[in-house]
Amino acid sequence: MTLSLVLQAIFAGVTNGIVYALVGMGLSAIFKGSRVINAMQGEFAVIGAMTTVLLLTRTGWPYPAAIAGGAVAGALVGAFIEVAFVRYMARKNASEDSFLLLTIGLALTLSASVLFFIGRDGHLLPPLGGEGVLIILDAVIQFHALWLIAIGIGATLALRAFYHRTTIGLSMMAASIDADGAATTGINVGRMRTFTFVLGGLLGALGGILVTPLIGVDYQLGLNLTLKGFAAAVLGGLTNPLGAAVGGLTLGLVESLAIIGISSSYKDVVAFSVLIIIMILMPQGILGRAGRRGG
Amino acid sequence: MKPRTLPWLALGLVVWAALPFIVPRYMADLLVFTGIYTVAGLGIGLLLGHCGIVNLAQATFYGLGAYASAYCTVMMGLPSIVGFIVGAVISMVLAYVIGRPILRLTGYFLALGTLALSAIASALFFEWDWLTGGTLGIGGIPKLDVFGFLLDRPSRYYFFVWIVAFACMAVAHNLVDSRTGLMLRSMRDSSTAAAALSIDLQALRTKVFVVCALFGSLAGSLFAHHVSFVSTQSFTVDRSISFLLIPVIGGATSIPGIVVGALFVTFLPELLSKLGDIHQILFGLALVAVVVLMPEGLVGAFGKLRTRFAKREGGGHG
Repeated sequence: MTLSLVLQAIFAGVTNGIVYALVGMGLSAIFKGSRVINAMQGEFAVIGAMTTVLLLTRTGWPYPAAIAGGAVAGALVGAFIEVAFVRYMARKNASEDSFLLLTIGLALTLSASVLFFIGRDGHLLPPLGGEGVLIILDAVIQFHALWLIAIGIGATLALRAFYHRTTIGLSMMAASIDADGAATTGINVGRMRTFTFVLGGLLGALGGILVTPLIGVDYQLGLNLTLKGFAAAVLGGLTNPLGAAVGGLTLGLVESLAIIGISSSYKDVVAFSVLIIIMILMPQGILGRAGRRGG
Repeated sequence: MKPRTLPWLALGLVVWAALPFIVPRYMADLLVFTGIYTVAGLGIGLLLGHCGIVNLAQATFYGLGAYASAYCTVMMGLPSIVGFIVGAVISMVLAYVIGRPILRLTGYFLALGTLALSAIASALFFEWDWLTGGTLGIGGIPKLDVFGFLLDRPSRYYFFVWIVAFACMAVAHNLVDSRTGLMLRSMRDSSTAAAALSIDLQALRTKVFVVCALFGSLAGSLFAHHVSFVSTQSFTVDRSISFLLIPVIGGATSIPGIVVGALFVTFLPELLSKLGDIHQILFGLALVAVVVLMPEGLVGAFGKLRTRFAKREGGGHG
């Protein structure tokens, strides 16, 4: 095992880890705000990426505008799902399982819609920062991956600031901790739950847009990202979106370091085994009880 | 059994026996699949309806059964029954070994733990191509031969599959009707109270998980002998999800509900496919509609409707 091989694995791990972190943060934000495990979180990534692809290729928007459009599409779909389905089911006191099944059904519908309206083919987006690569000790990292890492870190810090500094963010936290208490202080709890889904959709879409220049997007991408995002969220303690960022990075690094020298399709086996083991041995996530507090 | 139900039962039996001969061949084929899916769905229904466990790993055991049958008959030339037994034993042992630790999880964590299990199994089926043939699969699995009757047509295989399905239903019914069933219900409704009555929840959940795996494996073996060809595409996470839909759509607590659910997931996509490629979207929407509007499944919704009508007929204000 050479140093450059390890370094290469670390590059890949951090890059994938940021994507898992973004999807996981969205999942975790939704769970925190609504107690719904969103099994279609990966579909937000597909929606964001596909919208960006369509805006770029069919309507000729400039790339930054197309990216913004993709992210907004994710946020809008998130809001729609909360208003159209979750709100109604929450009023009827639906069980945990029914919410899970609802989001599974929505994931099937969305993935089938992409297949029907856009087709079976995968699509790529142009890499941010051009086609260039950076070479450190024979290990290669694309400029796009550096952008991805920077944007991912930026999004994480922005999310932290949002939860701690803004009125809406603080209200969302209050509504998730004690809905009745929040309602008595004049917070519109139902609207906060909608915002939660907007936030989840936005983060998922961003993850999808950023990963597309590297691996492409097709109608089947969603499920795998959902699982990885869930693993990231569980590692971070599930109710803490920033914990999910740590969880995503950990997951990305573990799976890429573990497959040095063996077939890369064992990557998923490693990732999901880690998920199961962590859930059984550390139900609070790798950060422990401390990770459950805070935004 | 009430005397009134007897004629209905006889009528049902006649319809059941006549069905494969009156419907077109492709429908007989679908009815075989309905039987296979009923077997697989029964196990998930037991877990969901009586233990409150969402099992998203059934494609794993379905795959184990199918590959055991394929490998034993094609690669080793053994009789079909050996494949059934090998698959069942491997599945039950695996379910026990994995179930002990994983069933300590609850709610969402357990659901996603089983989903992760299915994803792992699906990756391993793909990777261990010396055993499974990978994406190329294993072909030429012989048709079943029962006491000299070669079950080489859907209309013949239909009877075999459904007799197995009825036997599994009887096993599930007895399990639910027995002391175990009472313990299961007490566990589902209040696990603390059940534990206080010295019911070993862990062992009980594992037991039902093992039964579920056994049904999954049987269904897989039946599937392998029906289609004669198995490959990794049949045992993905998507398949686990569609198996879970069977009890969700039909109603997890009732055994006829499982049959209704199995009919739904086999026939609806086929009927909708006449509308063209849009059918998968419609299927997804149908699922969402069932989950949102009928949380107890089709059978539960039908039961509710019937009580409402019964009340009205009785002159009440319903």
